[in-house]
Amino acid sequence: MATQQVEAGAAGHGAEPRGKRGEDGQATYLIAIAEALWEEMERDERVFMLGEDIGVYGGAFKVTEGFIDRFGPERVMDTPIAEETIVGMSVGAAMEGLRPVAEFQYADFMSSGFDEITTVLSRYHYRAGVPLPVVLRGPSGGGVRASSFHSINPEPWYAYAGGIKIMCPAFPSDAKGLLKSAIRDDNPSMFLEHKWIYRRIKEQVSEDPEFLVPIGSADVKREGSDVSIITYGAMVHKALEASEALAQRGVSAEIVDLRTVYPLDEETILRSIEKTSRALVLYESYRFLGIGTEVAAVIAEKAFEHLDAPVVRLAPPNVPVPFSPPLEDAFLPQIADIEAAVDRLAGW
Amino acid sequence: MRRTVATKVEPDAATAGRPLPDDRLKEILYFLKLARYFDERMEALYRQGRLPGAIYSGRGQEGTHVGVAYALEPEDSLFPTHRDLTAQLTKGLELKRVMAQFWGRIDGYLRGRDGNSHIGDWYGHRTYAVMSHLPIAYPVACGAALAYQRAGTGHVALAICGDGATSNGRWHEALNTSSVFRLPVVWVVNNNQFAYSTPNAKEFAVPTIAERGAAYGIPGVRVDGTDVLEVYRVAREAVERARRGDGPTLIEAVSLRWRGHAGHDPAKYVPRELLEHYMLSKDPVKNFEQYLKDQGVVTEEDVTDIQARVEREFEEGHEYALASPFPEPGDVTKGWWVEDGYWVGEPGRAGGTEAS
Ligand SMILES: Cc1ncc(C[n+]2csc(CCOP(=O)(O)OP(=O)(O)O)c2C)c(N)n1
Ligand SMILES: [Mg+2]
Repeated sequence: MATQQVEAGAAGHGAEPRGKRGEDGQATYLIAIAEALWEEMERDERVFMLGEDIGVYGGAFKVTEGFIDRFGPERVMDTPIAEETIVGMSVGAAMEGLRPVAEFQYADFMSSGFDEITTVLSRYHYRAGVPLPVVLRGPSGGGVRASSFHSINPEPWYAYAGGIKIMCPAFPSDAKGLLKSAIRDDNPSMFLEHKWIYRRIKEQVSEDPEFLVPIGSADVKREGSDVSIITYGAMVHKALEASEALAQRGVSAEIVDLRTVYPLDEETILRSIEKTSRALVLYESYRFLGIGTEVAAVIAEKAFEHLDAPVVRLAPPNVPVPFSPPLEDAFLPQIADIEAAVDRLAGW
Repeated sequence: MRRTVATKVEPDAATAGRPLPDDRLKEILYFLKLARYFDERMEALYRQGRLPGAIYSGRGQEGTHVGVAYALEPEDSLFPTHRDLTAQLTKGLELKRVMAQFWGRIDGYLRGRDGNSHIGDWYGHRTYAVMSHLPIAYPVACGAALAYQRAGTGHVALAICGDGATSNGRWHEALNTSSVFRLPVVWVVNNNQFAYSTPNAKEFAVPTIAERGAAYGIPGVRVDGTDVLEVYRVAREAVERARRGDGPTLIEAVSLRWRGHAGHDPAKYVPRELLEHYMLSKDPVKNFEQYLKDQGVVTEEDVTDIQARVEREFEEGHEYALASPFPEPGDVTKGWWVEDGYWVGEPGRAGGTEAS
């Protein structure tokens, strides 16, 4: 893994061309996602994409740039700005045997299709036994000065609905392998890309068309013995940076990257707690009823006898993501906050 | 009960100037009578406290329910609502399994996971399992139609909703999107003049729903929803138009809901004279029966036979439903994910899409 500081485009949203792998063969997170889509479109004719400005323009973040030339406008379908219909249409197409991958220009706008997601997509199979292999994907997350309507972490809303597998990968390889698994899965899934990671993080990524990462499995990104940091998405990178500084002070942090937030990989979480006896739950969705709330409950309920300290949560307050840099920085958990929380835990 | 529909709609010598062959016309009468009897008996059972859950009476609207469903081929899909259960019966759903659903039994089409008219049988009869949120199936119908268009199957999706549901944003999204992509879909609005207690004038500020099609580049047709043959003719034309690749049609079928919104509602807000007018002179079942008698297609004896068959099937369905077991409580979480395998092996159901 190499962390590369690349400033995003003028609007902070990153509109430059998608580009290719570097000469060293490394792929950014964004390119890894594009490769996953491309390979699955090549592999299975039933897979098609729909969304706003994804065809001729190549998508707001250029994830699907060049796809329309290879796959044509039927399989790279530009839609009207109609999110209820983008979701509903995906459901109907899946009922008839297609495998739609719907792009949302920002994950924020998934809420404009909320009812079709939480009422139809989430509940249809349980009620009526019709599998819906639909993938909803889009850029989520803050830290790029995109403010309230372009920075949301919507995963708790949709995890609560149930019936939809939700992935929030932090690394290019995980993004590629998980997205490919999601497209092949017969259940609905939501693939939340983190726009802060898109062009910042790159690494060697498998070119094997059968490279898959299993849905519902967490991954220990750093071994440690004193404190477990349970996290996902962009916060994984913050935790990794914090753990370097902590190591210099002799505090060994283990970092568990959830990768999939629903269903939750309780086993990997609990195994880490057994080892370290201390848990920091770090997450970018809101503190109140965010994903970490459930993680903390699982630890409290199932690992009580292993704990040497109370479970600590570190997450943004339940307010809209603010724009002004000092405000957004205060809103998001920062490396110093993580270090302080780990230090406190290690002191128990 | 699954039938095929004659593609011919035009009157000719073989049908003595009537729009369909006699056996088809008799079949339509059977569905109308089934619809009426089912509705009356279920309401009676509900009032006696012998039926759990809710009922949404469709009495007075049977011409629309039967007419539009009869215009579909078995492979065409139907996206219905809470009030048009008899459209699903016309599409071929088995009465006894429908009734098992009302009593929460395992043999209901949704295995007790949903009740009343929130029913569907996708693999058996291509009907979407109704969901409450209005009109939530409209966008979904776009997707099925998209799949038919891509595959060039010539199949058509037909979706129904009420007059009130047209006020909801996704109704407009779906119409617009279907027209942009010229999808093979038929939009039916069952205008029974009320949305719960709210009359048309408080739902929209244009004189008719049909004319709203113009805003989306979709032809709109207004039809007497109590006249089953007129509804059938208009629906059949719209279905054929969609099949040819000429895009969606909006049909407004006007009738009146004879009963309240649901079993508990006395519907005092419906003007008495309006209701009397519809019940006396616009009864879809009686009028069609009279037409067939006038045309010499059925005798009094035929009608008695049809009625007897309907009543027998209802009794059989009722017995079947009460004899069917309840679902296992321990299965409450099964089928949340496809890999649970819960639905595998259900009659007419695939367990999942083809493994990738
Ligand atoms: C989005 C939504 N809001 C409210 C309701 C509650 N509701 C159920 S039926 C109904 C009236 C529907 O009227 P209409 O669309 O005319 O259909 P009808 O019942 O007359 O057939 C209402 C308000 C609902 N099901 N969905
Ligand atoms: Mg109505």
